[in-house]
Amino acid sequence: MSENNKKFTILAVDDTPENLDVVKGILGQDYVVKVAINGPMALKIAEKQRPDLILLDVMMPGMDGYEVCRRLKSNPETSDVPVIFLTAMDQTSDEAHGFSLGAADYIAKPVNPPILKARVETHLALKESMDELQKAYGIIKGQKDRMEDELNIGRDIQMSMLPLEFPAFPERKEFDIQALLKPAREVGGDFYDFFFISDDEICLVVGDVSGKGVPAALFMAVTKTMIKTRAMDDPSPASIITRVNDEMSEDNPSSMFITLFLAICNVRSGACRYTNAGHNPPYIMRKSGGRDCLDQRHGPIIGAVEELAYKESATTLSAGDSLLIFTDGVTEAMDVDGALYSESRLEQLLDGNNFSSAGDLVNETLASVESFATGAEQADDITILAFHLEQELVQLQQLEIVIEPDFPEIERVNRALEKFAGENGISKGVTAKVSIAIDELVNNIIAYGLGNKLRHSIMIEFRFSGNQLIIEIIDSGMPFNPFESVNVDTTSSVEDREIGGLGRLLVYELMDDVSYQRLKEQNVVRLLMNMPA
Amino acid sequence: MEISVRETGGVSVMDFTGNLDTNTSPAAESEVTRLLDGGSDKILFNFKDLNYISSSGLRILLATAKKMRTTGGKMMVCNLNETVQEVFDISGFAAILDLASNVEEALAAF
Repeated sequence: MSENNKKFTILAVDDTPENLDVVKGILGQDYVVKVAINGPMALKIAEKQRPDLILLDVMMPGMDGYEVCRRLKSNPETSDVPVIFLTAMDQTSDEAHGFSLGAADYIAKPVNPPILKARVETHLALKESMDELQKAYGIIKGQKDRMEDELNIGRDIQMSMLPLEFPAFPERKEFDIQALLKPAREVGGDFYDFFFISDDEICLVVGDVSGKGVPAALFMAVTKTMIKTRAMDDPSPASIITRVNDEMSEDNPSSMFITLFLAICNVRSGACRYTNAGHNPPYIMRKSGGRDCLDQRHGPIIGAVEELAYKESATTLSAGDSLLIFTDGVTEAMDVDGALYSESRLEQLLDGNNFSSAGDLVNETLASVESFATGAEQADDITILAFHLEQELVQLQQLEIVIEPDFPEIERVNRALEKFAGENGISKGVTAKVSIAIDELVNNIIAYGLGNKLRHSIMIEFRFSGNQLIIEIIDSGMPFNPFESVNVDTTSSVEDREIGGLGRLLVYELMDDVSYQRLKEQNVVRLLMNMPA
Repeated sequence: MEISVRETGGVSVMDFTGNLDTNTSPAAESEVTRLLDGGSDKILFNFKDLNYISSSGLRILLATAKKMRTTGGKMMVCNLNETVQEVFDISGFAAILDLASNVEEALAAF
């Protein structure tokens, strides 16, 4: 009896009816026995009735047992059915032939009843085991295929979100950008993105999601979209990251995290602001020689802690400098012995080479990592993004400088202003007045304007409009109008004097026009100086 | 910014080169304190090579003037360029500090 208590069906084939009766007599009690007296009938019954086992006489007129067996085995509908040959004693030498045709066994005639029963039982049990194994294999393979599909879908999601066309902005000559993502076999959740948020400001993002597969890819997709949306309205990296983190950590049941590096760079002036959320630090290669590591940490990985205020830092790229942002797929790439590529190897590569373009830098870095890891399977996604500021092609009638909210930074502004003044023929007197105004205002913003624990960078822009020199001082701190009270008692004596609002007074009087606006969550102070014609 | 100090006719003459602003004022303050602690009671701020001064610098001048007043000392400022003069005018410092056109004139007035 089979497992589900259904009787097995046996097909007996013999041209001698008496032999069929014998078989029926022996097996009829335990099994359903069908009979056929020739080859063609046997084949028909086998296909229609699907017996569980076939007892096949070899010597038959017309189509013999071998031919029947051959045909049974070549028909996919019947090829799985075990075939047992029944032969007369003097044909045992043909056993080899029979087995080669796919027969499962040979039984000598006249059949010995216990032997026949035993053999039939054995072969039926064997067939049942085989069937179970096949089923189990089918299930496992199905699951494996589904997993492969999931990985593939995950990778498709990941790759479809990346800007893949290079050169990305062929019409922009001020800079050169190149990026690549080499996925590991299992989707690792890296991503990169870059896009312009204004005429001259480009946002660069590189991130690494913890976790793998479709969930990681989806988390990455959401984060990427959120960043882009926020960045269009908000040019402060600290602010963008803070808001993205708030949203991602609010509803994060599967506790996915993402490390991020986000920079906003002005492609004309080279001024960059950036925020690093738990990401491995990028490098800047200076044309003047030397390498900076942007290793300030402005906050933890995204998605971990709600309501956290991220910080940002600032730096300036000069013409010929390169910024290299990457994920830990680079530094943690392993060779066959398990050694890591590491930061020091990367630094050696960067120091020892002059990279003529962003593409060059990316390709050399990848080649170096791949050569190191030859023979080992890639464990994590490798992402590399390079941004190279080209030679200045445009004489600056505009200068933008971004500083950190520290008093010594005012010096940097002064030097930049002097250079700008020299290039644009601004008189010493006017330059001095502007310097004073900046000293007063920036001092004030740093001391009072930014808010308790937040460190927002401050942007100062100089530009010409017709005969006017326009100076804008912009920061993303709390609302703060430096011109709120301009009344200072200038007639009191030395002892009673309060310096108080003296700085504000100077700005007001030295500049031809001053104004304050709160615009897009930023303080914008604008100063005007009329230039002689 | 650089400050060099010379003594002439009993007056400590401080020659400034550069700017007196947020970042450079602390150095000026230290120098003045050094002079006052050393017993100087006549100080001349020579602004011949000073580009400009901001409120941070004005604060130092005011503090110095206050201190010297209480000890009976005298403080003067000379060689103001156009911008510095304008700042002094706007802030009212021109009225409360003793100014001179050049070092000689100042020294004669001590």
